[in-house]
Amino acid sequence: MIKTDRLLKIEDVSRIYQMGQVEVKALTNVSLEIMRGEFIVILGPSGSGKTTLLNLIGGMDSPTSGKLISDGIDITALDEKGLTRYRRDHIGFVFQFFNLIPSLTARENIEFAAELVKEPREALETLEVVGLRDRADHYPSELSGGEQQRVAIARAIVKDPPLLLCDEPTGDLDFDTGKHILSAMRRINQERQKTVLLVTHNTAIGGIADRVVRMRSGEIVELKENSSPIDPQELRW
Amino acid sequence: MKKMQRKLVRDLGASKELFIAVTIIIFLAVAFFGAMYMAYLNLGDSYNYSYEQLRFADFTVKVSQDASEATAQLEDIEGIDAVTGRMNADFALTLPGTDAKKVLARVISLPASEPERTSVVNDVLVEDGEYLSNVTNSLLVEKNFAEYHDLEPGQIARLAVAGEEINFEIAGIAASPEYIFPAKSRQEFMPSSEVWGVVFVPEQLVGSVFRKPVNEFCFLIEDGADRDSIISQVEEILNPYQIVDIVPQEEQPSYSGLDMDLEQFATLAELFPLLFIIVGAMATYILLTRIVYNQRTQIGLMLAVGYSQRQIMMHYLGFALAIGIIGSILGTLAGYFLSEGITGFYANMINLPFTVTEPQWLAMEEGIILGLLPCVIAGLIPAWGASRILPAEAMRTPAPTVGRKLLLERMFPFLNRLSPLWKIPLRNIFRNRRRSLYTGIGVTFGVSLILISAAMIDSMKDMMDFQFDDIQRYDARIDFDGPQKASLVDNIEGWNEVESVEPFVEVTVRMEHKGETYTTLVIALPQDAELRGLYSPSRDRISVSPEGIMLSDALKDTLHISKDDILTVAFGKEEAQLEVTGFTKEPMGSFGFISLEQAQAIAGSKDIVTGVFLEVPEASGATIRGKAYETGGIASVELASETQDSIDEMMQSGMAMLWIMLLFGATLALAIVFTTVTVNILERRREIATMRTLGESKNRIAAMITIENMILGVAGLIPGIILGYILALYFFSLFQGDMFSMDLVILPTTYVLTVGIIIMIMLVSQVPGIRNINRLNLAQVTKEQAT
Repeated sequence: MIKTDRLLKIEDVSRIYQMGQVEVKALTNVSLEIMRGEFIVILGPSGSGKTTLLNLIGGMDSPTSGKLISDGIDITALDEKGLTRYRRDHIGFVFQFFNLIPSLTARENIEFAAELVKEPREALETLEVVGLRDRADHYPSELSGGEQQRVAIARAIVKDPPLLLCDEPTGDLDFDTGKHILSAMRRINQERQKTVLLVTHNTAIGGIADRVVRMRSGEIVELKENSSPIDPQELRW
Repeated sequence: MKKMQRKLVRDLGASKELFIAVTIIIFLAVAFFGAMYMAYLNLGDSYNYSYEQLRFADFTVKVSQDASEATAQLEDIEGIDAVTGRMNADFALTLPGTDAKKVLARVISLPASEPERTSVVNDVLVEDGEYLSNVTNSLLVEKNFAEYHDLEPGQIARLAVAGEEINFEIAGIAASPEYIFPAKSRQEFMPSSEVWGVVFVPEQLVGSVFRKPVNEFCFLIEDGADRDSIISQVEEILNPYQIVDIVPQEEQPSYSGLDMDLEQFATLAELFPLLFIIVGAMATYILLTRIVYNQRTQIGLMLAVGYSQRQIMMHYLGFALAIGIIGSILGTLAGYFLSEGITGFYANMINLPFTVTEPQWLAMEEGIILGLLPCVIAGLIPAWGASRILPAEAMRTPAPTVGRKLLLERMFPFLNRLSPLWKIPLRNIFRNRRRSLYTGIGVTFGVSLILISAAMIDSMKDMMDFQFDDIQRYDARIDFDGPQKASLVDNIEGWNEVESVEPFVEVTVRMEHKGETYTTLVIALPQDAELRGLYSPSRDRISVSPEGIMLSDALKDTLHISKDDILTVAFGKEEAQLEVTGFTKEPMGSFGFISLEQAQAIAGSKDIVTGVFLEVPEASGATIRGKAYETGGIASVELASETQDSIDEMMQSGMAMLWIMLLFGATLALAIVFTTVTVNILERRREIATMRTLGESKNRIAAMITIENMILGVAGLIPGIILGYILALYFFSLFQGDMFSMDLVILPTTYVLTVGIIIMIMLVSQVPGIRNINRLNLAQVTKEQAT
């Protein structure tokens, strides 16, 4: 089914930043539209600008030029407070290294995010969604990598945001665990109608997406629709 | 509890050693401030309450002739609340007991009947026994003196009046507002109770038994009255009776001694905690900067999930607040209990008539602000920095810091050839200059605190040694019961035990120069005096000049006088114009010195002496005393060893305080060095783990850390010694005057000891950090985000 309800519009966005003494052109004139409920995979080698793009969409960074309209909001025009509100209400992040707070348990990590919104989902319910209800009171150091990432996914969905941004979510996981994580994401996308943007350098993962964006040297070099996405469990790499 | 707060609590727990170390600094600052400041307030209140209850005089005037008839006239002066005329005279007193010790007693009259007593100025508080009786010969013994000699009510003491010994029953033991600190005068500030004390007798005996005049008036003035104008009127009325001395309350020896002590409390309450707080603020800053740096990705996550900059700032400020709140509250509590202890101990030690201890709420609030505010200020910078981190950057591995050769390495090329064992520590010091600076400052302050305390100990010891080894070179001093003929000296010289005798004349005088007056003692010595040393201000041994007068150095300022100026000296009714021929160094009291020949010439008799200094074998003190008691005309015998013992005892509490200060200084140094060293080590976990994986041994890494810390320690030592010296000079300047003059002395061994303590502290404080890196999981740590 072709999705037509636009969630995100990226117009001619560029991002240049300083890294130490070096000026890095991370993105150059990138334009893209994303529909509500889509599962998009952004592929590209290291340094291609995919994480930068994700950060810009997530309001974690501001473009040097161009415009980003998300859910009707011009996020390039927002001040810091506006960006905070945007991240709080519209975005759920999943990172490669999970980024759980080590001093909080799995449930507390989820509640840490839930406390920010008026009507969050139940922390235990989100843990149920990722199959970790019985590990609720464990600290991150007591969980495997896959379990930690599932907690991170639960943390991302507890605020019930329309857009999930996942930066190399399987990058630090083994093959089987990675597939389980991708399944969980696909399920959330399909069952809860969440738009998912997944960044990876693993080209195989493109198979599960509705659309695949390929990037190189800060530019989009290919945008491909996938008429029959495969089940994550069928993936091989 | 919100999860953000829970995170804060758990993060605090995860770095508990560091938090405890920093909190201890704040705790010590607030506890020290609270203890000293509340003790200062409590003691001040206690003194004021005692002065108020016992109607302590606003000023006192001493005359040399009977002025009892002037009392009514004095009472009529506007603004005077009460006047008490009394006898204040010295008599030889034989104490009860088989050894019948003789001392010189200051005998002061008091009304014996109750109605008159209610309005008496300078009343006493009877703490044991009864008040004076107007029926029998009774006396009250001042409490300090009574305690020293174990005197009790009911015992009989004998006062020598005009050659006759009269029995007096000790009615009671009493505390007097004039002798809380039992000073004989501003010159003899710490007389030994062995030879001097105060007793009170019924006033109706003044004329009949003592045959002495009313020679002193104590005045209480009304609130708001102009004291200077009242004193002028009093002077006018009493001038015909030969005014000897006018002593305003603030110059009264006991009052000013206690006031000086009180000021010492206040200064300690300000100076020490200030250093602690600066160090505490630096330590908080160092720790929080480290936490923020360590939690960059957590900050990124918080921003990503939607926490606001304000929430993040408040979260990290919470770490500083936790340190401030815990340190301040515990410090205030400890300070409160310590202040109660100090007040009680001190009040008991000085026999304060009334002790007032109450919670000093304002001081507690100040203590909490003192602990909290610097933490908040120190925490604001890193907390604000945390909130300003760009979320995307927070999630990225930071770019390596710019590496370049040190200026030192460019200036001194041989440094390039140093082995990594030396090169790495050297570069590390310049890698985080601010932290290195703070470590250095921490060491500097620690050294200063240790040095100030040690300097005080050295200087006190030096003062005592100078006083008792160089100035009071005699073994015994005999004071006569008034001026005596030289034949008494010959008699004493004939005693078998006496190795040498030196006569002296000591007389109370009033000095005047350019409108400034000062009442003190003039001591007349033979020019070849050996047993009473005289020293120039630079401590060169000198002799008394044959003509003119030599003055204690402190009188230069008091009398605005210089060498060769002419000083007016009033000896009772006689006045002499004497040229100032030089100045002398006197640690305790301020005197005038003239030659014995000149004194005798002024007195018009070559044959008068008021006492002798003796050189006797150490074991013969008791024999000398026994012989003296059997000889007529002798008021008291002071044995130098006993005086030194009793002054040492009085100094003990002060010394204890200095040792506590020393301990505080060392603890501060330990806490700050531990904090910075541990943070430095923890920050380099990954780097150190990498070095270990490359094959560096644990010992070599520990050596690198030690070298780095030692360089910082040495860098902090030198300014620390300079700062400590400057602060000690400032501290000493507060206690210089006509009553005390202490030179700042720091022995070479003290410098060595201070350096040794700091090096020891630095070595000990790096042990936990080194142990931590020795237990590193190399595989795990090398994967951590670079810092």
